[in-house]
Amino acid sequence: MIGGLFIYNHKGEVLISRVYRDDIGNRRNAVDAFRVNVIHARQQVRSPVTNIARTSFFHVKRSNIWLAAVTKQNVNAAMVFEFLYKMCDVMTAYFGKISEENIKNNFVLIYELLDEILDFGYPQNSETGALKTFITQQGIKSQHQTKEEQSQITSQVTGQIGWRREGIKYRRNELFLDVLESVNLLMSPQGQVLSAHVSGRVVMKSYLSGMPECKFGMNDKIVIEKQGKGTADETGKSELGSGKQSIAIDDCTFHQCVRLSKFDSERSISFIPPDGEFELMRYRTTKDIILPFRVIPLVREVGRTKLEVKVVIKSNFKPSLLAQKIEVRIPTPLNTSGVQVICMKGKAKYKASENAIVWKIKRMAGMKESQISAEIELLPTNDKKKWARPPISMNFEVPFAPSGLKVRYLKVFEPKLNYSDHDVIKWVRYIGRSGIYETRC
Amino acid sequence: MPYLGGEEALRELRRALSNPHVQADPVRYRAAVLRVIRLMAQGADVSGVFPEMVKAGAVPDVVQKKLVSLYVRAQAPRQPQLALLAVNSLRKDCAHPSPAVRGLALRTMCGLRMPGIQEYLQQPLVNGLRDKASYVRRAAVLGCAKMVKLQGDCEVDGALVNELYSLLRDQDPIVVVNCLRALEEILKKEGGVVINKPIAHHLLNRMPDLDQWGQSEVLTFLLRYKPRSEEELFDILNLLDGYLKSSSPSVVMAATKLFLVLAREYPDVQADVLVRVKGPLLSACTSESRELCFTALCHVRQILGSLPGHFSSHYKKFFCSYSEPHYIKCLKMEVLCELVNDENVQQVLEELKGYCTDVLVELAQGAIFAIGNIARTYTEQCVGILTELLGLQQEHITSAVVRAFRDLAWLCPQCTDAVCQALPGCEDTIQDSEGKQALIWLLGTHGEKVPNAPYVLEDFVENVKSEMFPAVKMELLTALLRLFLSRPAECQDMLGRLLYYCIEEEMDMAVRDRGLFYYRLLQAGVEEVKRVLCSPKSDPSLGLLGNQTKQPVNAWAWEFNTLIPVYGRERWALATAHQPVEPSYSGPPCTDSRSRDTESLISEGNKEVLKVQPSTGSLSLIPDASLTAEQFEKTWLSLDTSCHLSLPWCGPVPPDTIQTALHVVHIQTIAMSKAGAQPWKAYLSAQDDTGCIFLTELLLQAADSELQVSVKQSEAKPEALQSFISALRTVLEAVAGLGS
Repeated sequence: MIGGLFIYNHKGEVLISRVYRDDIGNRRNAVDAFRVNVIHARQQVRSPVTNIARTSFFHVKRSNIWLAAVTKQNVNAAMVFEFLYKMCDVMTAYFGKISEENIKNNFVLIYELLDEILDFGYPQNSETGALKTFITQQGIKSQHQTKEEQSQITSQVTGQIGWRREGIKYRRNELFLDVLESVNLLMSPQGQVLSAHVSGRVVMKSYLSGMPECKFGMNDKIVIEKQGKGTADETGKSELGSGKQSIAIDDCTFHQCVRLSKFDSERSISFIPPDGEFELMRYRTTKDIILPFRVIPLVREVGRTKLEVKVVIKSNFKPSLLAQKIEVRIPTPLNTSGVQVICMKGKAKYKASENAIVWKIKRMAGMKESQISAEIELLPTNDKKKWARPPISMNFEVPFAPSGLKVRYLKVFEPKLNYSDHDVIKWVRYIGRSGIYETRC
Repeated sequence: MPYLGGEEALRELRRALSNPHVQADPVRYRAAVLRVIRLMAQGADVSGVFPEMVKAGAVPDVVQKKLVSLYVRAQAPRQPQLALLAVNSLRKDCAHPSPAVRGLALRTMCGLRMPGIQEYLQQPLVNGLRDKASYVRRAAVLGCAKMVKLQGDCEVDGALVNELYSLLRDQDPIVVVNCLRALEEILKKEGGVVINKPIAHHLLNRMPDLDQWGQSEVLTFLLRYKPRSEEELFDILNLLDGYLKSSSPSVVMAATKLFLVLAREYPDVQADVLVRVKGPLLSACTSESRELCFTALCHVRQILGSLPGHFSSHYKKFFCSYSEPHYIKCLKMEVLCELVNDENVQQVLEELKGYCTDVLVELAQGAIFAIGNIARTYTEQCVGILTELLGLQQEHITSAVVRAFRDLAWLCPQCTDAVCQALPGCEDTIQDSEGKQALIWLLGTHGEKVPNAPYVLEDFVENVKSEMFPAVKMELLTALLRLFLSRPAECQDMLGRLLYYCIEEEMDMAVRDRGLFYYRLLQAGVEEVKRVLCSPKSDPSLGLLGNQTKQPVNAWAWEFNTLIPVYGRERWALATAHQPVEPSYSGPPCTDSRSRDTESLISEGNKEVLKVQPSTGSLSLIPDASLTAEQFEKTWLSLDTSCHLSLPWCGPVPPDTIQTALHVVHIQTIAMSKAGAQPWKAYLSAQDDTGCIFLTELLLQAADSELQVSVKQSEAKPEALQSFISALRTVLEAVAGLGS
């Protein structure tokens, strides 16, 4: 259980403090202990869990805001961190980015939220959708709670399904599916993949009436193979047709609404979705990843005061697709005195404050190649320490899923109301982003 | 905290709050209340407006009620008389038609910390427990816990407890979990909430409805339940199987712990579980949420302590990425050290080598020590890499390498030659105390293998006046004296100078004392010096003792998913020292007597307490009573040998067989030499049901055809000793029989 929650700004000033249990002792002491020992500590943060005077402080940082949960008990660390993440999500859902200004402007709302999601230090309901019925938004709303709203609370909180209330109606039944992936790569200078994985999320935004049953299908290898076996005649065909396009998922996890028993037995994903936006599933793949870009670095040291760097990037996807927001960051030594850059495409700039050459390209089609060359002049130093050569990192956005995941279908059934699968308007979008995409040089 | 000069502002606020025009306009009224709260949050003394605020709470606006509730809870302890005013209006709110208001009122009332509040609380709470809206029931259930906490030592109301137990069958999942939490706190003195068979099964059925917090907590509560039969146990495990792959890492961890603890008698099941959570754990380790990643890595480290090869094939997942925070990098390196094997050693070393030149000193040194650790097994490659690093001539790198070398020379004597060859030239780069000490120790101890050792030490002697660290001076004294024994001609002169300096000029008492001591020792003759100083130069067995601790899974199953793997056992013990041990559900270590007590409390009639009777008449040894290596060492040194015997033995010793055989009769192996080592040693421990501890050393000298057995006993009990020895003898003879 959590004894208290504190939110600090980057200077260590307390923005929010809420104490749930007396056992953490004097509030001021606890608040100060964390500030002195962690926020103001000289060296780097040693651990996200800090023990000060037999009290454990769990902290996460969002931009320059510190959120700390405090407890005296021997708790489950994973749960406390998960709770802190959830709290951040909830706050973001209410007022957007977690920043000092936003927190100061919404402090009453935050206290209200903290009151609902934790009671006596125990996590209570934390689904944003469900919370919206308890938390009367900052505004002028709810002078008198209407009868309807009251009954909503009752039905919502007694209903078996905690994540959806009854009686939702939309004129237009619509749903949006986003496949968001972040592709991570660590490549050796010789172009050998040291590690690569894709962590992806399927985010669904649903505006559906009633209590709809949804069924979601993708090109999961296990399912495709199973179906192939089912229809024996088609085995040959499916091997040719879709066999290549199925993907192996290392592990996947689902939103609470998905019936896990059905997934385990038939590997089908069926669920009643929460209203609005939620994360349907999260997955990870490591095999057959399409790496959208390859970075080929070439660093040559010409004497002691000059460095020649040439970096080639190759896009490796269909020529008809366009990658966006490409940014290549080439680190330079600390004693750089001047840089001359030549690039064919995009803009490149040496940023002395970041010790890097930043090369930005707005758009780039598939199967293209582009290069940059730079001459770096160095100040002679006595420092014998060799330059550590941090890896070249890259950012980009591509309109496909690097894991190869495809949404095959999403069917909607609502037995009580009279709309069918065909009446629902569905949108699917794939976005692949770079996670940590690094090439050593 | 009377600062920020709120006097004036407060007076103005009071006027506003009591102004009927403001009160008539909900928006302005709320704004005034909001300003009070803002003042309060800034630390101003706002107790002056208490009556006005209580009045402001009596409006229909829920938001305003919440604000007032915040205020009242913060101010009540300072003004108990006035707080009674609030209680009155809150009690009225408890009968409000809106469940949100009823819940809020209950929560506020339970949060008032003032004497005598209990008598006002009782009735609303009881009503709240029977409320038709679950929102109110949730608040009421936890309210009961708060009330009992306020009461302190008073007798717990039996009716209330019963009511809470019956609410475990409530429709609403959060009410169910809250009931468990409340009962746990209320019944703390009696050992917490009782999980009997019907309750356990009920909870298992409700699991799918709960949210992640509930699931994680119920899984922790279920740890207390002991299935009556093997069949039931496996039913439970099957039912909970899906939670090992839950989307929430905390549920995965809680489920893993439950599986490990429930299956403590079935090592196969435990191993299987650990294989199955590999995926989820790995994905947590590579997740973008760093704190979770950190937690997962701590647990991976714990698992590797028992199953060294467990993550070996996934070693690439533990390679550090440039932008990760330092604490994750350090943990990853620790993990990498653990999972090295013949296949991946090349790649892992290659990777660690890359970190050695990191800009951060701490990280670079960490990487070097990691390589030093791996060197205990893969000596040649590692020494090569370390020697190469010396070429960089970086102060912190050289220092760390030399320190790693010192440990290596002590633990693996076979690499001394390689180490000694690499040493020349290091002395110019090393600046810090630790590094200098290591270098001096190496030169003193293995000086006969380093041609220029005396000259390097001479440099140190020359500069001894400007030396900052007393520890370095002491090390220098010892090293020089040792070197003097092997190379007297080259050292005599400077030894004289050093001794003179230490005795006549040195200000640090410890250094001076040691100088005097050596001086007098030298007066006693060289033979005497040799006797005192020529201790062994290496101790390979120590490396073994440090490395061997392949802990059984059961040794940490109870600690899994608590803070102990995160802090490490030593730091946790330190952090909780001098603290009265609270019987909290997540905490209790696996002391057997404890879990047995609670069991007999929980399930009367369940008498299948496991009592394995080894072939030993009156003696019954406790399973899983394992000591740590440190504890063992301590106890071993403090006791006298109670019994010594030798058994006939021929041929090599199969360590695995012996370990397994001993485990069957509940004798735990603390440490054991590798197969074929000479002399072969093993250390065993066992504990009987009266708490008497038996420590045993097995020793097989190379030439002997007899196994020397010495047994030490913590309490003098001749019969117990006799039966223990006969059990041990039976096992050993059986193994010997197998071997021949």
